[in-house]
Amino acid sequence: MIRIDRVRALLTKDLRETFSTAQIMLPLVVVPLMIIIGYPVAFLWAIRVAPDAVDGLKEFISGFPASAIPAIPGLTAAGRAAYIGVVYLFAGFFLIVPVMVSTVIAANSFAGEKERRTLEGLLYTPLSDAELIVGKIAASFLPAVAFAWVCFAIYTVIVDVMGAPIVGALFFPTANWWALMVLLVPAVSLFVISIVVLVSTKARGFQEANAIGGSIVLPIIGVVAAQVSGLMVLSAEVIAAVSVVFVLLDAGLLLMIVRAFRRSRIVSYLP
Amino acid sequence: MLQGAADSGEGLAVDVRGLTRSFGAVTALAGIDLEIERGAVFGLLGPNGAGKTTTVRILNGVLDPTRVEVLRVLGRDLPEGDALVRPLVGVQTDTNLYDRLSARENLALFARFYGLDRVAAAARADGLLDMFGLLDRARERVERFSKGMKQKMLIARALVGSPQLVYLDEPTAGLDPEASHELMSYIRTVSRAEHTTFFITSHRLDEMETVCTKVAVLADGVIRAQGSPAAVARAAVPRVRARVTPLPGTAVPIDDLLALPGALRAEFGPDFTLVDLCRVDDVPAFIRAAAALPVQLLGVAEEPPTLKEAYLALVGAAGRASGDVTS
Repeated sequence: MIRIDRVRALLTKDLRETFSTAQIMLPLVVVPLMIIIGYPVAFLWAIRVAPDAVDGLKEFISGFPASAIPAIPGLTAAGRAAYIGVVYLFAGFFLIVPVMVSTVIAANSFAGEKERRTLEGLLYTPLSDAELIVGKIAASFLPAVAFAWVCFAIYTVIVDVMGAPIVGALFFPTANWWALMVLLVPAVSLFVISIVVLVSTKARGFQEANAIGGSIVLPIIGVVAAQVSGLMVLSAEVIAAVSVVFVLLDAGLLLMIVRAFRRSRIVSYLP
Repeated sequence: MLQGAADSGEGLAVDVRGLTRSFGAVTALAGIDLEIERGAVFGLLGPNGAGKTTTVRILNGVLDPTRVEVLRVLGRDLPEGDALVRPLVGVQTDTNLYDRLSARENLALFARFYGLDRVAAAARADGLLDMFGLLDRARERVERFSKGMKQKMLIARALVGSPQLVYLDEPTAGLDPEASHELMSYIRTVSRAEHTTFFITSHRLDEMETVCTKVAVLADGVIRAQGSPAAVARAAVPRVRARVTPLPGTAVPIDDLLALPGALRAEFGPDFTLVDLCRVDDVPAFIRAAAALPVQLLGVAEEPPTLKEAYLALVGAAGRASGDVTS
């Protein structure tokens, strides 16, 4: 049985530690924020000030099916380019952000505790294996997904303020984006965290867990992120279906972690 | 009935028989037996790498034994019953605190793991901080604490769940003499008053000799001796010795001492003379005879072997034995 109060205590401690580690958090937060703000601002500003440049994107735009762009009265070529640019091209980045954040936080949370020689003290407490795992995973999952949603909110404001006048309608977020952010991003984040936690139990330190976890996770996520533009062209239902596949993978991985988790195995990797 | 309880290990805090743990080809523990009564202050002594940490980890259910006949802690069999044992046990090992949390937060966090609610956890943390003289630093991050203060925090953390069994690893390392003395007094008081069992590993043999009701010497994964500090010392150190202390400014002629019953040889100390005797049976006669000498004495008494002497004899013997094997 999992005692929520103990999980919450562990979670709160981990979150406090994470947010007080500036050298980990700053690059993780600053770079994605710069891209999240910089890309739509630069892209939409360019279309606004140089609509003729859209001619060069005609072939690219024609590659998208007609159903990919809603029937908005008076939609210009510039509006079509703006719509495709902000709705389809950048979606993959919103998967990369939580993956990056969760990989680092998860590696720091478990393997980092080994490195800082605090984990053994935790293993001696009455915390059950499940409480320990759930607390650690939640401590990585919540900030990663929360940060992705903050980025999404900022992106939405920029797109609505700068893109709506070009497209001629308040079109963002689309149903696909809601599916992406509410379903796929959390499901993929949990998948990544589970893999990193699995690796972290055997790694000796943060760097090792981050490197091994990253090398397993990033190629998988790279493929998924590359396909997201294509997914976004399809319906929100398809994104939801892909999310369900990840949720099933998450469930399998979590089960594997709980079954494989042995304090004795972790302790045998301690100095 | 009492005998039956003792046989079944119900009165024991720790009951271990035939505990073996190997790491690959290396045998850390080679079939050790331990019996620690509830309320005892037990000292596990041994050189670095003797297997003390491995023993503590196994007794806490965080490391599985390779082989064991009986492994029972506070009446629960391990490793199956580890989840039932952990709430009853407090552990201070050579680990670190959460540097970025304050002293109060560190203790309150662990108190919450032991099931206390937020208010009770904060109160428990403050109580322990007060006991260890750190209450005025409660809000400070522990990364600013000295080594001794961190050591006090680690011990306080082990006590936060009001445990029935407390493991302390080198508890006085980094503590000043006053703090060490206070800790030893605390251990004695709590073990008697609350029947709390203490399991201490330490290299400070003088402290162990005074605080422990029972010790075991572990070397090369084998228990070389086990019992009260005095019993272990007598068993490991066969010599019999008496201390003769004359009044300052006077001396006892050595020929007079060597002429006393059982005297073998004499050795001068700064303010006293140590006389080796043949057998322990010679001691009463030697004391009576020495007291009758025409010199002014402050005292004549048996000089019992110390735990340190026993430890050196046992560990040295173990080292020589393993040297024989490898050669």
